[in-house]
Amino acid sequence: MSDPGNEEPALVRPFLSGLIASSGAPDRGVDPHGQEPAAVRSYAMTNGRSHAAIHLEFEAMLQVTTAANDPALNLNFERAAIVRLCRHEILSVAELSARLRLPIGVIRVVASDLVVDNLLEAFLPSLGVAEDVDLISRLIEGVRAL
Amino acid sequence: MLSETAPRPAATRAPIPVKIVVAGGFGVGKTTFVGALSDIAPLTTEAAMTTMSQGIDNVGEVSTKTTTTVAMDFGRVAVDSSIVMYLFGTPGQDRFGFMWNDLVKGALGAVVLVDSRRIEDSFPALDYFEHRNLPFVVAVNLFDGSLHHSPDDVREALSIAPNVPVLTTDARQRERVKETVLSLLDVALAQAKARARKG
Repeated sequence: MSDPGNEEPALVRPFLSGLIASSGAPDRGVDPHGQEPAAVRSYAMTNGRSHAAIHLEFEAMLQVTTAANDPALNLNFERAAIVRLCRHEILSVAELSARLRLPIGVIRVVASDLVVDNLLEAFLPSLGVAEDVDLISRLIEGVRAL
Repeated sequence: MLSETAPRPAATRAPIPVKIVVAGGFGVGKTTFVGALSDIAPLTTEAAMTTMSQGIDNVGEVSTKTTTTVAMDFGRVAVDSSIVMYLFGTPGQDRFGFMWNDLVKGALGAVVLVDSRRIEDSFPALDYFEHRNLPFVVAVNLFDGSLHHSPDDVREALSIAPNVPVLTTDARQRERVKETVLSLLDVALAQAKARARKG
């Protein structure tokens, strides 16, 4: 992974090895538990892009839109998996990453595409949370009651 | 006619995600702390983080950026009908020079956990939050119910500013974790009010 033109991280998640093995990613002559195939796979999933159209924070929450319920909708693997999970409950980028065993960066790019395509609606964290006396007061009340 | 004041039906109230960061050295109890309060068993995710390698090897050059993949544990707490609080443990294998900006951006505040047997392990986290305009508290985790150094000793050893609370906690006990998070929220509220007065 010393190719200077490759934007993917140098270390690739060992937890992806099972997914790679079962996803039919081409065997490039590398040990399936090694690091190389995962990088190739992540790159393919995001169509070679590493930047999302909409910036989704780790905690940004995603909900399906009514358009996502169209039975004629034909989505590929990761898009379908994200939409399927978000149909049951509103989930954050981090939760989708953990549940689908995909790096946060991949979820960010794919989910932001789904938002652009009006299949997901995103609930973003408040930018002014540090100044939001009402929100912090509600948090204090809520945490006390836990 | 479109009305901006149309009441939003309660059933579709939009969730408001809020993030709190739990930092500290490796093995200090961050995941236990997150799990004590979370509605779900802590989940693990991985993300690429940018690291600034400053210096020693390339004196006089601009710091170089490299990307490294780190694992993080996090939990989720439904605080009320719309606020969802996410607690993110910072990656444990950190060393000096790493960058948490991506994780910390938008966070309400941070809890820096300290193992009183290995006080120095919390230094990178403290150093990081001291240089950010982010509320934080320092919590000494009582592992075996014993405190090897008092909060005052920890404050002195780590040169923690007088306005930063240093308290004890027990990451295994939900009530103690709640108290710790509440002390952070109190700091955040005080800072928000101070900003509102200025602004």
